[in-house]
Amino acid sequence: MLMLFLPLMSASLARAQAKKPAATESDVSTEVVAHDGDAIFSSQVSFTFSVKNRLDAEQSGTLSYLVTTEKGERVAEKRVNVNIGAYANKDVDFDIPALAPGFYKINFMINVSDYDDTTIRAFGIRPKEIQSQYARPADFDEFWQKAKDDLAKVKPNFKLTPVPKKSTSDRNVFEIQMQSLDNYTIRGWLTVPKTKNPHRKFAVLLGLPGYQVDLDPIVGSDDDLAIITLNTRGQGTSRGPIDTRRDEFISYKLEDKDRYVMRGVIMDCVRAIDFVYSQPNLIHDNILVSGGSMGGYLALAVAGVDKRVNLCSAQNPILCDIRGLVNEVDWPITSIKKYVATQPGLTLEKALSNLDYYDGKNFAQNINCSTLVGIGLLDPFAPPNNEYATFNLIPGKKKIMVFKNLGHEISGKYKEWEGRWMRDTFALF
Amino acid sequence: MKFRKANLKYLIAVIGLLFSLHQKSYADGFPLRPGRLLLNPSVTYFFANKGWDSLRILRPFPANGQFTSTTFTLSAEYGISRRWSVVAMLPYVSNTYQQTGYSSSTRGLTDLETGIRYYLANINYIYYFMLQGTVITPMYVNNPGLGYGLTGAELKLSFAGSGHLFGANDYFTIEDGIRQYFGTQGPWQDRYSATFGLSLDHKFQNQISVSFGGFYSVSDFKKFNVNPALDKNFAFNQVSLSYGHSFSKEFSVFVSAGTFVSGRNTGDGSNVSLSLILRPFK
Repeated sequence: MLMLFLPLMSASLARAQAKKPAATESDVSTEVVAHDGDAIFSSQVSFTFSVKNRLDAEQSGTLSYLVTTEKGERVAEKRVNVNIGAYANKDVDFDIPALAPGFYKINFMINVSDYDDTTIRAFGIRPKEIQSQYARPADFDEFWQKAKDDLAKVKPNFKLTPVPKKSTSDRNVFEIQMQSLDNYTIRGWLTVPKTKNPHRKFAVLLGLPGYQVDLDPIVGSDDDLAIITLNTRGQGTSRGPIDTRRDEFISYKLEDKDRYVMRGVIMDCVRAIDFVYSQPNLIHDNILVSGGSMGGYLALAVAGVDKRVNLCSAQNPILCDIRGLVNEVDWPITSIKKYVATQPGLTLEKALSNLDYYDGKNFAQNINCSTLVGIGLLDPFAPPNNEYATFNLIPGKKKIMVFKNLGHEISGKYKEWEGRWMRDTFALF
Repeated sequence: MKFRKANLKYLIAVIGLLFSLHQKSYADGFPLRPGRLLLNPSVTYFFANKGWDSLRILRPFPANGQFTSTTFTLSAEYGISRRWSVVAMLPYVSNTYQQTGYSSSTRGLTDLETGIRYYLANINYIYYFMLQGTVITPMYVNNPGLGYGLTGAELKLSFAGSGHLFGANDYFTIEDGIRQYFGTQGPWQDRYSATFGLSLDHKFQNQISVSFGGFYSVSDFKKFNVNPALDKNFAFNQVSLSYGHSFSKEFSVFVSAGTFVSGRNTGDGSNVSLSLILRPFK
C-alpha cells in the first residue's frame, strides 16, 4: 500500500485506558457497533454497546455515552444501570437524540464492579449538508493566477539524472531537479518501467509529500505507471534555503500571504506538472496527483490551480476550512499561534486572513477533475466536519471514503479503489 | 507499489470456445486497452454419434453414424478507445459424417463475424457491463455443409467481474446474445453463457474455469441435422472446463473440454480445444 505521508503522531484513539487493573480486557470486553456501516446517519443515530463478562462474578454498574461536538461541547449523554451475570453478555441499544447535521464524537463508557473503560467513536449526520461558515477571499483566483504568472517567469531548467544504484530490475530511477518559484531549486524522483518499446508512454502518478516527509523514489512493480515523488521546498532533498525546525515549517513567513511558504510549495507542485509536460515518454493527460495529510492538501491545491491535473486523490488533507480548526484541533493551530506570538504586529486574525488564500476548501471549489477523498472520523488533525465542508464544495465528479474507526490515516481499501479508479479512467485495462 | 490490473481480459478470452462449433462469438466481458490488439487463434475438435430428437429423446445416429468437426478459428479484438473496441472472428471448418456405407465431408471458411463492442458502465470498477453488436457474413456460397448461408446480426450484453474467493483471485462473466439470421427460415437465437474462473496463483499465471451455456434457436425449419451448426430449430446446454497458463503477458495457452448435457433436435457431442492468446503489441 502506498502511504505518501507519515501520521504526525499515533492516532489510535479508539480506546482509552482501563482504570481498574483487577480485570483485564480478556475478562470483560466491550464492543460498539454503529447501526450504519460508515457511522453516517440520515436521521436517527443508534449504537449497540455490547459487554462480555468472562469473570465468575456478577458485574454491576453503568453503561453510558457522552456526545460532544468536535470542539468538545457536550450535546447529549445517557447512563443506564446494568447487572451482568457471571459469564454473561449484555447488549444495550443507545438511540441518540436528534442532532444538527455534522460530526460528533461519542464516548462509550463502562463502569462496573471490576472494570472501567472508555471507547471513543465518532459519527456523522447528513454530512452532505455541512457547509463552511467562512467565505473565500474575493481575489482568491487572482492571487493564484499571479503566483502562476510569477512561476512562469522562472525558467525551469529541468534536469533528469539517472540513479542506477536505486534502479531495480524492472524500473529505472531518475532524480529530478528543477527551478521553481523564487528560483528555488526543488528535487524529486521519477521511476519509469523498463520497456523494450522506445515509443512507450506512461500514465503518471505524482505523489505529493506529507508534512516534513522526505520522499524516496517509489519503484514497485507496476509496469503501466511512471511515478514521481516530489520533495517540495523545505522538505527532504529540497530543503535548501528553507530549512526550518519541524513545527515551524507550517507557519514560515505566514505574516505575508505573498511570501508564506505554502505559496512556493504549491507552485512547486505546479512545476512538477510542467515537468510531466516536458517529458515525451509521459502521457500528459493521464496525471493522477495523490497524497496524504499535507500531501492530500497539496493534491487538492494543485488540482484547484492547475487544470492539467486529470485525477486528484486526497487522503486526510490538512488545512481544510482552517478557521473552523481553531479551538477544534491541536496541530496545526498551536504551531500557528506560537508563531503569531513571536512575530511583532502579527495577530491570529491576520494569520487566518492570510491562510484564507491557502485554505483547502477554497481550492476545492475550483477542482473540476474527478476527485477521491479519504477521511478518518477520529482524525485529530483533519476533522471530518472540515473535510466534508471542503469535499462538499468540489463541483466535479467526486467520491469520499469514510473510515469510521481511523484517525489520521486511511485503509488499504482506499488504495485499492484508487488504483481501480485510476486504471479505468486512464484506460489501463 | 502496484495498482492491481484488470488483466483478466487475456485469461478468459478462451471462454469463447464454449460454443466453438456454433460459430462462437469472441466472448469477453472486460474492456480492452486502447491501441492494444488481442489475437486468439484456436483449434477445436468436436465429436458426436448421437443426438436428441424434437422430443428431447437421445438416440444414436442411424447406421453407426458419427459426426466429427475440426474448427480453426482466428479471433481478434482491437481497442479503439476507452469505451470502444472492434472484434472479428473467422472460422475454417472441416466436417465429416460417416455411417455404414456412407461418408461425406465438407470444409471451408464459414461465417465471418465482425462487430463493435462498447463499454457501457461499471460498478466500483470491479463489475463491467459491455454491449456488442455483431454482423454475421457467410464466406461461402451454396454450401449447406458450412452453415446457414445467411447474413445475420447479433446484440449481446455482457456482465463481468472479479474478486477474491478463498484467498484466490476469481472472475466471472455472464453473457446473453440475441441473434437473428435474415432470409427464408433464418433462425432467431438466444445464446447465453456463464463462466466462473479462479486464478491458481497471485500472478495469474495459471487459472481454471468452468462454464455453462447454451443456445435456444427458433425457426420454421425444424428438420434435424447431425451437424449441430446446421440445425435451425433446436436447443442445447453445454458445460466445459478450461485450464490456462500464461507464459508471459504477451502469450497464454488454454486447453478446454466440453460436453453437451441436454438438448432438443440437435447432436449430443463433446469437444476439446486448444487456444492461444497473443498480445503482439504492448
